[in-house]
Amino acid sequence: MTAYSTIGKSIPKIDVKEKVTGRALYAADLKMPGMLYGKIVRCLDHAHARVLKLDLSVAAKMPGVVKVLGPDDIKAHSYNTGVLDLMVPEPVGKMLGDIEDQTVFTKHVKHQGDAICGIIAHSEEAAERAAEKVIVEYEPLPVYLTAEESMQPDAVQFTSLKPGNRAFQLPGEMFPNNAYGWGNVDEAMAAADFVVEDTFYVPKQKQCQMEPHAYIALFDDGGRLQCWTSTQMPKCVHIKLARMFDLPMSRVTVTQTVIGGGFGARLGMIGEPLACAMAMAVPGRPVKVLYTREEDWIASESRHPGKYWMKIGFSKDGAPVAVDALFRSYKGGYYTQGSGVAFTTGSWLGGMYKWGSCRYHGETYYTNHAPCGAYRGYGNPQTNFVMEQLVERACSKLGVDPVEWRKKWHKGVGDDGWCPGVTYPSCALDECLDRGAAAIGWTEKRAKYANQTGVKRRGVGVSVMNHTSGAFPMLLEHTTCTARLNEDATAEIMLACSDMGQGAHTALQQIAAEALGFRFEDIHIKAGDSDSNGFDIGAHASRTIYVGGAAVKSACEDARKELFARAAQYLECTVEQLTMRDKIIYLEGASNRSISAQEICARGVYNFVDAASGQRTGIPGQIQGYSSFLPTSNSPPFAACFAEVEIDTETGELTLIELVNAHDVGKAIHPASVEGNLEGGAQQGMGFALTEEIYYDKNGLCLNNSFTDYKMLGPSDMPKLTTILVENPDPLGPFGAKSAGEAGIVAPIGAVANAVFHALGIQIIEAPITAEKILEAIKKNGGV
Amino acid sequence: MSSRVLPDFELLMPKDLGEGLQLLSRHGSDVAIMAGGTDVLVMMKANYRSPYVMSLAGIGGLDHLDWAPETGLRVGALTTVDQIEQSGAVKQHYRALWQAATLFATPQIRNSATVIGNLLRASPAGDCSCAVLALGGTVVLESVDGRREVAIDDFWLDYNLTARRPDEIAVELRLPPPGKGTGSAFRRLTRTHEDLAKLNASARLDVDGKICRTARLAMGCVGPTTQRLPKCEAILVGKAIDEALLKTLDDVIQSEIAPIDDKRSTAEYRRAVAGVLLRRTISQALAD
Amino acid sequence: MKKCEITLTVNGEQLTTMVAANQTLLEVLRENLGMTETKYGCGTGECGACTVLLDGTKPILSCLTLAAAMDGRHITTAAGLARDGQLHPVQQAFVDESGIQCGFCTPGMVMKTVGILARTPNPSDEEIRHGLEGNICRCTGYAKIVSSVKRAAELMADQSAAE
Repeated sequence: MTAYSTIGKSIPKIDVKEKVTGRALYAADLKMPGMLYGKIVRCLDHAHARVLKLDLSVAAKMPGVVKVLGPDDIKAHSYNTGVLDLMVPEPVGKMLGDIEDQTVFTKHVKHQGDAICGIIAHSEEAAERAAEKVIVEYEPLPVYLTAEESMQPDAVQFTSLKPGNRAFQLPGEMFPNNAYGWGNVDEAMAAADFVVEDTFYVPKQKQCQMEPHAYIALFDDGGRLQCWTSTQMPKCVHIKLARMFDLPMSRVTVTQTVIGGGFGARLGMIGEPLACAMAMAVPGRPVKVLYTREEDWIASESRHPGKYWMKIGFSKDGAPVAVDALFRSYKGGYYTQGSGVAFTTGSWLGGMYKWGSCRYHGETYYTNHAPCGAYRGYGNPQTNFVMEQLVERACSKLGVDPVEWRKKWHKGVGDDGWCPGVTYPSCALDECLDRGAAAIGWTEKRAKYANQTGVKRRGVGVSVMNHTSGAFPMLLEHTTCTARLNEDATAEIMLACSDMGQGAHTALQQIAAEALGFRFEDIHIKAGDSDSNGFDIGAHASRTIYVGGAAVKSACEDARKELFARAAQYLECTVEQLTMRDKIIYLEGASNRSISAQEICARGVYNFVDAASGQRTGIPGQIQGYSSFLPTSNSPPFAACFAEVEIDTETGELTLIELVNAHDVGKAIHPASVEGNLEGGAQQGMGFALTEEIYYDKNGLCLNNSFTDYKMLGPSDMPKLTTILVENPDPLGPFGAKSAGEAGIVAPIGAVANAVFHALGIQIIEAPITAEKILEAIKKNGGV
Repeated sequence: MSSRVLPDFELLMPKDLGEGLQLLSRHGSDVAIMAGGTDVLVMMKANYRSPYVMSLAGIGGLDHLDWAPETGLRVGALTTVDQIEQSGAVKQHYRALWQAATLFATPQIRNSATVIGNLLRASPAGDCSCAVLALGGTVVLESVDGRREVAIDDFWLDYNLTARRPDEIAVELRLPPPGKGTGSAFRRLTRTHEDLAKLNASARLDVDGKICRTARLAMGCVGPTTQRLPKCEAILVGKAIDEALLKTLDDVIQSEIAPIDDKRSTAEYRRAVAGVLLRRTISQALAD
Repeated sequence: MKKCEITLTVNGEQLTTMVAANQTLLEVLRENLGMTETKYGCGTGECGACTVLLDGTKPILSCLTLAAAMDGRHITTAAGLARDGQLHPVQQAFVDESGIQCGFCTPGMVMKTVGILARTPNPSDEEIRHGLEGNICRCTGYAKIVSSVKRAAELMADQSAAE
């Protein structure tokens, strides 16, 4: 085991003091001289309509109003809030069919909450009052709430670019027969000894990050557009805003404020285009735009819901000879990440088990819901709910232990991961399964709950998952980092990686300290400033530590190399003869000869000319390491999750008893942060399985756009949580690390669903598994 | 859409009850009366508008919680749900109300919200309301013309509508003292622990030996207001309550409820579990 | 009235400010007094991010409290718990137990914890969880927040023993 100075230690995170006092500044906390307030007027009464008339004249005359803006007042290109268009080469983007179908304000309302116009006023209250005076006449259009409705030939077209309202399907040029996979599924399925098959429903889940979206935008006197935002992708937003407003990137600044949670909600743009468009209309004046929670709900993106059909064929010995699947999702009103989730949902499927053959169809159709975009797991939760329940059904038919079946058939080192041809460099899933099973008492409880009677029934279930560490090789992976050594031998690490609260900046600082050989407190991370930070694709695909961390490591090694090269010059030896302890570089075997890192750094900066000799007094130049890091690997994490539930068979109510989540993390850079992430993921995963869904009435109006009626598991609902970090350093990740950002949400979903199956002998195929559905299923089953 | 900013209104801050009643006699139905504010302000951030808001916060002597064995419990207009939760007397003598108070909303809401405010909200899902209906009692309403008492059975007229006239303030809730064999209970079904009820139920039983002498059963979310279940009550009275008797309620209750269908649950589900919840509530009251 | 002058004692400091009748305590703290440590998370009393302490130990929702009705009252915010750069034991406990992720719920959680411990100095797990209802966290799954409250109870006990 390598002895690290800071890696693997749960030191206090760098931002805890400002957060625990509330002094950390989120976008809504900022105030600027001369600041105005922008209010977005949204369509609330229709989910699908055309704007026949927009009358802003009364609103414009309201006290405190500076400007009113309708669709025709905006000079900006149409856009796509997603970022996939930046992550693939243009021809591939064309093939995928990525489009820019969003405008700042619209005349064709495609979901409740679509933006109609904007008010800029001296106060939030004045803007609100004026917004009430906007007169809009609508022509209601038919509302489509499922793909099956919007695909009808006579349906109103959402955009002329997507005939039949099919926003996306896997393109035939890249995926023969529009399917992802391998082998001959039809033949293998026909030859299978038995099959399990069902059509599931997966829910429209909301990220519910605690900080509502908030922005300040300013078109300053220097002709630069500035935007303060808690986006999780500052550099993507940087170029997207530049393109949208026809400005060179040098005239756009994105300042990332402290992020109050992301989970995908801030993956790409949300309200930045609207805030910036308003600021462009009042040059020189900062415009602050604050979303209400309801607005956050109805006008920002969510998880992709839809119907998910899957069929798995098995041979008698349990071999999964074929898997065939179709995920048809309900896109909502705009394209956004249309090509992403429809693809990855299948890739997690392909990457999990040793399927003899695999065929996955992914497609998504426009519907009149709030748009679907990125949400933690990006298709993996949907697949876990479906695949893991079907596997469970098969295990029960085969009469095999579900843990043993998974140990036998999951993919591992050397097998293809989610991208065919890219193999898993490490896999500790067996250890996850073993340790998780032991922790929950799997064998005893499975036996104990086998023949229950009475009102309350218990069950234990298991689920496994694979995820990803960055998006290589499918999407662009790139992070640049500069490691600048100060003259006192401390370091400034500059990069655009985001800390969404998961502790990424602390972990990156640990990596920097370790790679430089400096103390943790010698390092400062400078992020969130698009002017000084180089490119980083942003926080997605659980890439920040794996790719961003590798970039930091590489930049720091570059700086350290220069430091050692200079030391070798000063000490008149070779680099190989040098070692550094406590920032003093020693010539090995001659401990009286040494030079401090501080002296090398200082002499590089304060490089005087000696008056007597006319010579420079040392090696000149400030040391700066750099890395423009493009990874060549991907080391997905695995996990095994075990859940125990108790069900009241008279009411259908479910109580979560215990959850054990064992994760193959490679190496935990900051263990407490990794645990915290996984625990938070578990809360969201169990929520997906049990309580969380956005509901709409038949007119497409949201019924639960608040925490009052969108229920997440609270402190009293959470079960006993046990998080096991299985550390088996990955050969390729920085210091052995794999990702742990999104992963926590995935496996609890299948584990909880399978625990329900174990308790009742019934599977609930529509998420969330509510008391209502459980009771109905028991009734249909004729009792339990 | 909901707003981050409250609408414009004129705030009335009477210093005593007399001034408050005078203001009401003048502005009547244009006034939204606010005690804790946890309902009124939420509604105002959505679409509720009222030219005047009258805060009772400045009126002294309305936050009392008095218990005496002869007269029972007196709950003031500004008495918070938290005060109920913290009261040993309520816990001992009015178990249903205490249980409802401990489950009601969240600690912060309980610190501001009042029991009387919950009655005045006239929502079929009110937890304290459900307990109060089972416990019986009266609401004291006062106007410049004097005081009157309205029995809780007559207090809710319809969804969001009470017997309070616009010029009246509900100054006190009075609950009768429990008898020797009185027990009560409150239970509810929710989606998560912290939630508004899908279905709630409360029972007060006066038991003599093994025989149930009187029964007051209340249930919420099965009609426009929280309601009594007279047929079920009649089944219990005069009998020794056992499992078999309770089981008969499953059918009886079906004829006296018309469950609501909303985002929290379905009418079908509420109907299916109403009997279960009622049985469990009665058993809990018997154990009190 | 449409407007009135009120005096609040915030974190021990007496402050007088003109407020509109329709201003909430949250708006007055954030906008009039510049105390942005109290957060707007939902505006409708569900999330608890706006929790402040009334009279030292009573957690209330500043988003559902009219400022005008708070004249003369004592309010404590998260920033006010720390004195001279020294964290309050409850805050220190959240640091020690890694109970902080995105930080947006944290000020409210800290306020709530002071409230829980004022009433129940040595709370059980169940009491902590019941007490934390009304403060939503989407990052932690509450596990490390519950341990932070436990740790806070210990630190508070140590502090009173030392005094």
